Amino acid sequence: MDEKKALEILHQALSLSKADQTEAILEETTRALTRFAENTIHQNLEQHDHTLTVRTVLGKRIGIAQTNALDEASLTRVVEQVGGIARESPEDKDFVSLAHPSSVNPPSLHSYNERTANFSPDDRARVVGIAVKEAKASGFTTFGAFDQTITLLAVANSLGMSRSFRDTAASFSLTVSADDTTSGWGQAVGRDAAKLGVETCAKLAAEKARRSKEKVEIPEGLYTVILEEGALGHLLLLLGFLGFGAKTFLSGRSFMAGKIGQKIAGENVTLVDDAYHPLQIGRPFDYEGVSKQKVVLIEKGVAKGMIYDTYYANKAKVASTGHALQPGNTFGPYPKNLVMMPGDKTREEIIASTDRGILITHFWYVNYLNPMETEVTGTTRDGTFLIEKGKITQAVRDMRIEQSILEMLNHFEMVGKDLSLYQQYGAYLLVPLVKVGNFKLTKGD
Amino acid sequence: MKPKDLVLSACDLARSRGASYADCRFQEMEDESLTVSGMTPEGISRTASRGVGVRVLVEGAWGYTATPETDKDSLKREVEKALEIAKASAKLKKEVVHLAPLGKVAGTHTTAIEKDPFTVPLSEKASFLSHLNELIQMVKGVTKATAIAEFHRTRTWFASTEGSEIEQTIYQSGAGIEATAMKSRREIGTRSFPQGGGQFETRGYELLGLLAMERECQRIGEEAVALLSAKDCFPDITILILDGPAVSLIIHESIGHPLELDRVFGAEKNFSGTSFATTDKLGKLKYGSDLVTVTADATSPSGLGTFGYDDEGVPAQRVELIKNGLLVGYLTNREMATKIGRQSTGAMRAQGWQNLPLIRMTNINLLPGISSLEKLIAETDHGILMLGNSSWSIDDRRESFKMGCEIGYEIHGGKLGAMVKNPIYSGNTVEFWGALDGIAGEREWKVWGTPSCGKGQPGQNMRTGQGAAPCRFRKVKVGGS
Repeated sequence: MDEKKALEILHQALSLSKADQTEAILEETTRALTRFAENTIHQNLEQHDHTLTVRTVLGKRIGIAQTNALDEASLTRVVEQVGGIARESPEDKDFVSLAHPSSVNPPSLHSYNERTANFSPDDRARVVGIAVKEAKASGFTTFGAFDQTITLLAVANSLGMSRSFRDTAASFSLTVSADDTTSGWGQAVGRDAAKLGVETCAKLAAEKARRSKEKVEIPEGLYTVILEEGALGHLLLLLGFLGFGAKTFLSGRSFMAGKIGQKIAGENVTLVDDAYHPLQIGRPFDYEGVSKQKVVLIEKGVAKGMIYDTYYANKAKVASTGHALQPGNTFGPYPKNLVMMPGDKTREEIIASTDRGILITHFWYVNYLNPMETEVTGTTRDGTFLIEKGKITQAVRDMRIEQSILEMLNHFEMVGKDLSLYQQYGAYLLVPLVKVGNFKLTKGD
Repeated sequence: MKPKDLVLSACDLARSRGASYADCRFQEMEDESLTVSGMTPEGISRTASRGVGVRVLVEGAWGYTATPETDKDSLKREVEKALEIAKASAKLKKEVVHLAPLGKVAGTHTTAIEKDPFTVPLSEKASFLSHLNELIQMVKGVTKATAIAEFHRTRTWFASTEGSEIEQTIYQSGAGIEATAMKSRREIGTRSFPQGGGQFETRGYELLGLLAMERECQRIGEEAVALLSAKDCFPDITILILDGPAVSLIIHESIGHPLELDRVFGAEKNFSGTSFATTDKLGKLKYGSDLVTVTADATSPSGLGTFGYDDEGVPAQRVELIKNGLLVGYLTNREMATKIGRQSTGAMRAQGWQNLPLIRMTNINLLPGISSLEKLIAETDHGILMLGNSSWSIDDRRESFKMGCEIGYEIHGGKLGAMVKNPIYSGNTVEFWGALDGIAGEREWKVWGTPSCGKGQPGQNMRTGQGAAPCRFRKVKVGGS
């Protein structure tokens, strides 16, 4: 479907509605994914869907309905249905209005890559084959996935909003291993499926697997750790859930609540949400059609800002920052494009500066222990190494982390100068390598 | 084209174009979701989705496509695409995929319900949830009350090139309440009923009556408030008693997931991880104490993981995974079953028509014992009772875990003592289940529903069940966050 057709469908749906306000969202997604295990492609698929979500407002009553049937009769049915839902719903006294269109144009974003859109099953198999060959050359087995997504998002409402955007994204991740206890992991994310750097990714993962053949145990305690991008990205993703959104902020459940203008992290910590960063994969507007703003969340350690959708912006009497998720979600606004400002150190300098520390590749199953304290637990995975006198000396048996993320942001000792893109749960995080003091590692149980 | 003709036609087409095996699912899915916070609706929505998924085996390798377009031309295009994908898969294969024999399966299945939830007016549902919140908020000190309800109906038409033709309709309903109290920005107390995120079952609207949530509103409100002044859970190695929801979650994480045979063979190694319970341990590993007998039972009445046929047409069944503590089986599909020389246990499930079926939990049931929660407590001189779930984390081999509960009570001299907040227990799977020395009986046993078990890429949420009663474990490491 092209953007014109998508907007036509939306305006047709809007024309059928008799509600006070109506919003229609069309999202079309084609996702192709090739998974491999034991050097074999074991799952290989392409899934396509298009969903029309309609939100209507009757006074302060709101209804939401979604369908993936786009014929005229289905449009009529879903608009009638959503009107009925609104009539039957209790009033939401805090609701003010759907989003108004803005005359301010956001920076342009060129996010559609023809090569990615046309990447075929054979192309994906060929790329996976490169990684398998690379790892096999070192005597290892590979497990991973090549993921390719093409999306179209169009939003229109009865207040005059009418926007559409197409984009592509690709990612590759793999685990290289010799046996059940040896593994190395890597991930590459970008817009261009042909330029992900799969070979380099496989080489680095194989090198980690090679180094992890013999592991030593280390005692529980507070360590200096070097967090690779996958590790830091995962923790910041959780921090985003915990408190950069206005819903938790306004209810007082965010670690940012009552702290705006106060120092909550080290001076070397600046965190923004920026869909327009040249290395990010973002959209220029959210699910309400509101332009995404670059929002400074923490600046030089000081809590600065918060992200909003229209509902919570109206509640707080500020402007939406363009961070709405799909209607009907209960999370509230969410930062999908976090960027941590880089420092000035190379990876080599950071490792060389470490007398004794632990290098962590990424984490598994990190979950909240105490959300108010941003305290989480999880385990290290696929490449955890001891650094002694500035050199990686040996692999370490995986450990459990028990750590407050906010406290971690107060103990950055060094920040890397290069940024890498990490992707998980639909969010993209652009982060550097960091060296952190006082990081709590415990035994598995 | 009628759904039945559509799935048959896709299979015929795939066969004629060279697929050695193909199956096709056409599904119509309807969901209704209500979240009410206090008197404010946070999200009330209805979703309808229909589409078709085609899975083919060509040159011994898999291809899968899914589309909402179900006209004849689109279907032909999808089949061709699936064949192309399978051929690409075949370029990187070590061995040809074999399927455990099944034969032709024909049948229908519909969840037995008393009241179709989609016939109940939304206003009635929303009023009921608001009423529950009102009852919770009558407790002084409660800062937030949330009530949720969800209803799902999935109609599936399945056919395969082996001649199987199946039609089934599954209803799933769920509801729950939660009370939150906040003293400061650092102190928060939360209690839920029947469990965090709600209780889900294969039932109709009658579930909401059966849950009798009105009776528990005041209690969970009072407990949430009391947690604000409760003491911390003192670190110890002691006797731990868990309630049904907490046992359900540890079954899910440390028995259900590690016994998914695709995981055991590395299919999820790059994402969800592997399993310590490798096939060389089948019939040898003492997974738990003699009291531990666990079944995968897709026939459990009203279990959330209950169905008539799995998503490759295998009839629902009850199989033993652990018998008197010994590992005796796995959750399998037709492909993985051949690797251990067995038949499929019927655990191949997909979230929807868009998704490739994977090995998923059905109802993983720890069979009831002969004790009771009251008796387990009375027999305990020193220990702790933990209720509900607040946090969960287990390593990527499913061995070492750390689990947080909503609330705890010290046990002294066979009686409940002081309330403790943020209680946590941790352990190693085999040691933990080996330390189980008491299970409550059938009266307190229930299949607890987990409505969003994540696995696979693209990520799929599956609705699973875990049959559990309160249990007691010896020498468990406990503490507070």
